[in-house]
Amino acid sequence: MNAVHVDDLERIELDDGFVWRPVRRYFDIRAFGVNAYTAREAGGQIVEEHSEGVLGHEEIYLVLRGRARFTVGGDEHELAAGQLVFVSDPALQRGAVAIDADTVVLAVGGKPGVAYTVSAWETMFAAAPLGRAGRWEEAIALHQEALAGEPDHPALLYNLACLEARGGRHLDALLHLRRAAALEPRWAEHARSDDDFAAIRGEPGFPA
Amino acid sequence: MSGYRIVTLADLDRIEVPGSPVLRPLRHELGVTAFGINAFTGDETGDLVIEQHREEGGPEELYAVVTGRATFTLDGVAVDAPAGTLVHAPPELLREAVAAEPGTTVLAIGADIGKAFSPSGWESFTLANAYRRRGELAAGRAIVVARLTGSPSDWKSHYNAARFEALAGDTDAALVHLRHALALNASEVRKLAPADADLDSLRSDQRFAEAIA
Repeated sequence: MNAVHVDDLERIELDDGFVWRPVRRYFDIRAFGVNAYTAREAGGQIVEEHSEGVLGHEEIYLVLRGRARFTVGGDEHELAAGQLVFVSDPALQRGAVAIDADTVVLAVGGKPGVAYTVSAWETMFAAAPLGRAGRWEEAIALHQEALAGEPDHPALLYNLACLEARGGRHLDALLHLRRAAALEPRWAEHARSDDDFAAIRGEPGFPA
Repeated sequence: MSGYRIVTLADLDRIEVPGSPVLRPLRHELGVTAFGINAFTGDETGDLVIEQHREEGGPEELYAVVTGRATFTLDGVAVDAPAGTLVHAPPELLREAVAAEPGTTVLAIGADIGKAFSPSGWESFTLANAYRRRGELAAGRAIVVARLTGSPSDWKSHYNAARFEALAGDTDAALVHLRHALALNASEVRKLAPADADLDSLRSDQRFAEAIA
């Protein structure tokens, strides 16, 4: 299927209050990042507060329908349908709330000078509702699929360990958490206060 | 403030080329370097908004209908696309779209799979030629020079640089670019140059005759 209306895309509600409409995954686009976002209600978050400092992406946020109030680098701008903001500086903090309940924002991104690769956050976003529903094995499978292409991705390994710990796969959780911490020591620090690891915090081998 | 820009699609320049959709040059306007992105407008019902083409060996593309309504034809199958519709076009897909309502705007996003993005020559030359037709020769020349900087081994970039330098009256620069273009693709340049009116200012120069002989 080569065409879809944005309203017919899957709705993945995320903890920060915005709703991810996974365009790239729907079409399996491999050349650039592209996704749509909606809000749960007027006044709700529609683009999460974030920077692209880690990924280094240039991003465009186009208001496809409705109106949104963007905050970019501390400045506020109200954008209506047909308006867009291009954030060329990855370090700039940006986010938006929907002014109208049916607002849709289309986000396009990529890193200059390098071929596009799928961002790990897509897997984590896709797994979020599965985790909330206690469907651990499905959420774990999504992470395993992503890790097959990027076996040393620290954040994916850490998130996988969280799901495994919650899902009762304690030894797998320890292995993957230790691997994440070995690749990026900050994950050991995260793990010490992360409720996901409550069941295995006392196990031998838990990162100190 | 640097680091971001806000744009209204309807306020973008209109690049009108007979027989082609009206190009709204978003990527050039913003200086996007990570992916291709432009908009096309059909003012009236039936206006072309996406030319019939494939991108074989080229970019994967996504079209988003921003305003109005379009009718896409994808490998011969008609698809009704009201505002909010997203259309995915793998490189080999034959695609075309016309406006099904007045004031239809379609955003086109594209990049090659597995390669770092670089702007297409099509975009640069379309813009440069449009500026030249409006009498904005310096603006067109600047686009061609920028294109050449990024693609120094592209014969079309040298050939177009020769045209713009000739139009600007810099015969020496024009001939240098023409020689570069000939070195890179002699058969195409020898087909185009003899009848290209943009090169007329060079024809009385002996070096031109020698180059394309």
